[in-house]
Amino acid sequence: MNHLRTLLAKDLQRAWRNPVPWLVSIAVPLLITGLIGLAFSPQTRGGGLGRITFALVDEDDSPFTRLIRGGLTGQEAGKSLDVHLLARDEALRRIANNELAAVVIIPKKFTKDYLRGGKPIVLELVKNPAQAIHPAVVEEGLGLLVTALNAIAHTLGGDLAEWEAILEGHGKLDFQAMSRLLQRTGDHLAPAKAYLSPPLVSYQGETRANTSGPAQAWSMFAFLLVGMGAMFLLFMADNAMRDLYRELRFHTLERFQTLHEGLLVLIAGKATFAVAIVLVGAVILFGGGALVFQFAWKRPLALVVLVLTYALFAAGFMGLLAALAGKERRADILNNVIIMVVSLAGGCMFPPQQLPAFMRDHVTPLLPTAWFAGAARALQEDGAYLGWVGAAGKLAFFGAVLLVLATALFRRRLHRGVRA
Amino acid sequence: MALLQADELSKRFGDIRAVDRVSFEVSEGEIYGLLGPNGAGKTTTISLVCGLLKPDSGNVVVSGSNFWSDPQAARRIMGVVPQDLAIYEELSGRENLEFWGRIAGLSQRDARARAGELLEALSLVDRGSDAVKKYSGGMKRRVNLGCALMHRPRLLLLDEPTVGIDPHARANILDFIRNLVADGVAILYTTHYLEEAETLCHRIGIIDHGRLLAEGTLADLQQRLGEAQLFVIEGVLAAAEPDTWTGFTERFRVIQKTDRQLTVAALGRRDPAECLKELLALPVRVENVMLKRPSLNDTFLQLTGRELRE
Repeated sequence: MNHLRTLLAKDLQRAWRNPVPWLVSIAVPLLITGLIGLAFSPQTRGGGLGRITFALVDEDDSPFTRLIRGGLTGQEAGKSLDVHLLARDEALRRIANNELAAVVIIPKKFTKDYLRGGKPIVLELVKNPAQAIHPAVVEEGLGLLVTALNAIAHTLGGDLAEWEAILEGHGKLDFQAMSRLLQRTGDHLAPAKAYLSPPLVSYQGETRANTSGPAQAWSMFAFLLVGMGAMFLLFMADNAMRDLYRELRFHTLERFQTLHEGLLVLIAGKATFAVAIVLVGAVILFGGGALVFQFAWKRPLALVVLVLTYALFAAGFMGLLAALAGKERRADILNNVIIMVVSLAGGCMFPPQQLPAFMRDHVTPLLPTAWFAGAARALQEDGAYLGWVGAAGKLAFFGAVLLVLATALFRRRLHRGVRA
Repeated sequence: MALLQADELSKRFGDIRAVDRVSFEVSEGEIYGLLGPNGAGKTTTISLVCGLLKPDSGNVVVSGSNFWSDPQAARRIMGVVPQDLAIYEELSGRENLEFWGRIAGLSQRDARARAGELLEALSLVDRGSDAVKKYSGGMKRRVNLGCALMHRPRLLLLDEPTVGIDPHARANILDFIRNLVADGVAILYTTHYLEEAETLCHRIGIIDHGRLLAEGTLADLQQRLGEAQLFVIEGVLAAAEPDTWTGFTERFRVIQKTDRQLTVAALGRRDPAECLKELLALPVRVENVMLKRPSLNDTFLQLTGRELRE
């Protein structure tokens, strides 16, 4: 027991003196959680996607296209869209400078060709791939506009030619003709009255009032942090267990062997260190994360038990993987890949519901990463959730079994590799 | 009394016979040097003696008891200084010493006190609290040595403890080792530096290809080459065949022959002037002849057919 304490103190001291690898494992999940959370969380008021900046080049410049422009630059649209009315060259220059997400170009004679019909009309869209999702949103919007224009053309058919004549009135609108045309358009729409007013299909929106206060609300940050934490705590456990190979490389393992019979204490010491460092990491990640992102864990005690059992599992799992790899460099590569895979398949990176069906139904339920992340998230959604006890039990059991296997295998490997 | 007895130790790694029936003894207050080139089997021998490797055959007896009958008792008696630095670079010299002291079984208080003593003895007091990674090579070597001394071992196994350090640092370490011997510590010292073996060791065992070729004091080993007479002939010797020279092999033993140089030892107690006369009369074009006292390197050359420095 004395030796175990001495070994643990030594490893913690070394970690304290060289904290960069550990800090990276803590900072990265916090950073990812922050970035994703700030982008998509409903709690980030005024955030979300932000305003989409794009240019509209109106080469037609007709009363009809001015109507479209007016719609895009109106007060309501202005909340999400920052539309710049520019000439083609200027718009293309700005998109090349990454100042715009997209450029929409209404070609010359657009109104004329649209109202006459029979000739395909093409709106041009230039997207800027450097602005992530914004160009895709503009494209979707343009798709809606095109669908609406097509629907109007199909409904009004022959009236469009007369509309063209009125709009092409050489700067002078014939209000009498317009009145007649409006009357006729009204007649066209009369049979559709039963469908249009009230609309046949509609939806009712409701925003639930937040009755439990901001601290108790569902938090995307908590959801993300659990997944990221599950993954990066594995990285920390891996780093700790692979330290056994470093002991071999630095010849300290040999010196240990010259002073002490057997390697069991040394390996047990490293497993204790792995559990300890994962616990420290979890406290900073989950405790600090809650402070930084301003949410509260609904069942902190249950979460602590879950983290404790997960730390046991992480030490055993990564220890076994490292021992199976047999060489430090191989373990370095292999373990990183396996951590990514079990984290992805365990629903740490994405919500498990979004995983492919086979993986979601047959692989994810078998993974301890999913047991931990699933139970921690369920606890956060429903404080009365009792399934965490089973998850913690499974994690503890598997952790203990894996630790025993890892110790036995490491003992064999290191014994074989030891030389003065 | 012999504190360490290695008896017919053998170890194979696959087809390679790393150590082949090696036997020697080290007594209290004695430095026994194992001299040999890299790959000769020195480190494997140390590994067998300290229990890092189990011999295929043979015995290690420490203080009268077979090592493997009670390895932990044997380990308490011995301290091992591995050839490679076996210390934690992130920790300070003092922390390293204390940690290894604790692993060797010292209490926290004893480990702290002993670490202080050793830092003083190794001239590291001023830098004792600095991280080892900031130390020079010589300082790291001293900490490496100190870690093996925390539990006051009576038998010290030193595997090339001065490799890669400057002459001044080496001299410091050698002085420290001499002081340990004066206190009665038995030392098994491996090296490939002739000067170290010549100046430090009481007895020397020459090892090559896993076999102990000869052992004894420096004088004993030099005696093997004759009565302290060694002649180096320089000239055109590429075609020379000493075995065919009439009466040559009865009077001289060839130590080494190259295209430009022939080193021979005179057999028996002979007059050097007489020997020189005979050598100058050899059927080859001699450009120069030198007379010298045999060194350990010459002994090694005679035993292995190659120089230690090769």
